[in-house]
Amino acid sequence: MVKVILQPEEEIVTFTKINTAMQLLNKYNLHYTDALVIRDGELLTQDRKINKDDEIILRKVVSVG
Amino acid sequence: MKCKVCKAEAVVALPSHNTAFCPDCYDRFFMKQVSEGIRKRKLLEADDKVLVALSGGKDSLGLMYALAELGYNVTGLHIDLGIFDSSKKARSVVEDFCADKGYPLKVVALEQEGTPMPLIKKHINRPICSVCGKFKRHYFNKVALEDGYTALATGHNLDDEVARLFANTLRWDQAYLSDQGPLLPAENGFAKKVKPLFRVSEFETANFSFLKGIPYHHLPCPYSTGASFTGHKMIWRNQEIRSPGSKRAFYGGFLERGQPAFAAIHNKKKEYEVVPCTKCGCPTSVGICGVCRIREQLDEALAAEPK
Ligand SMILES: [Zn+2]
Ligand SMILES: [Zn+2]
Repeated sequence: MVKVILQPEEEIVTFTKINTAMQLLNKYNLHYTDALVIRDGELLTQDRKINKDDEIILRKVVSVG
Repeated sequence: MKCKVCKAEAVVALPSHNTAFCPDCYDRFFMKQVSEGIRKRKLLEADDKVLVALSGGKDSLGLMYALAELGYNVTGLHIDLGIFDSSKKARSVVEDFCADKGYPLKVVALEQEGTPMPLIKKHINRPICSVCGKFKRHYFNKVALEDGYTALATGHNLDDEVARLFANTLRWDQAYLSDQGPLLPAENGFAKKVKPLFRVSEFETANFSFLKGIPYHHLPCPYSTGASFTGHKMIWRNQEIRSPGSKRAFYGGFLERGQPAFAAIHNKKKEYEVVPCTKCGCPTSVGICGVCRIREQLDEALAAEPK
């Protein structure tokens, strides 16, 4: 299972299979300039592979207010 | 994906510049955007004493870090709005960041000033975001002038500036269009105001602050209902995805060709005179400044409250 923490909501969702960072962004209708994809403290570009037990932080960058 | 400069693994891809960078090359790219922006628009002199407005978000903290790296004499200023846990969190993020990096920091707590935002929201029938903005600008300017700073820097980025420019353009607001830009020179009792991040997008500042290990907070204000700029930001987000570089072209074109034209119209007619507020001495065109008037209204409302 891939565990995804969506920020700033701090919502946790798990996915059975995600192949790339791009696929993950697509699940949330995000363009790759809308969010940081963070794994183990490192940034992933949209083409990077995601492994089946990864924990990913998806941090949206658009500030509100 | 490889870094376009050194071929190491890339961590940031930027369609607007048709490139991708590894952490080190991204750092150089970002710092160059900031330093070139400062140089080209003459935002800061080497000997400026810079007061940096710190909200605790990625833009303001990233700005402080970048200016310090470039060798500017910087001091942070945080306005603690007194909005429950949200303000406590923001303040501790700013205090920890400055302590960690060894940056001097000043804090103005509105609770101590007798005007925390929840109290104002309760008693003053006006949009809280505009009142809050008024108080922040008031204290930024007051501290800058009273403590001898020669420039006030804010973390507004390209997205903020494009959204604001777009809103002003939709109304063809001549006064705002003539004043908008990354530099407002000192005049009439106002400190020089600069926005050194005007060439970098929100995505770019987010990447920079993350890569620099800056522990920014990313909580929206509890009073914000989605704010007026969000809709415009969305329009520009979609435009930028369709046509990367649109934001830079729109804002850059305005600075080159639009702003000078509006400034010429604006300079002709300044009907009002700016004088010190009769209560607090801060510059205003209406006798008693907006902040002092809200204070008065608040005092009246509190006095009228049943004990
Ligand atoms: Zn590189
Ligand atoms: Zn006043």
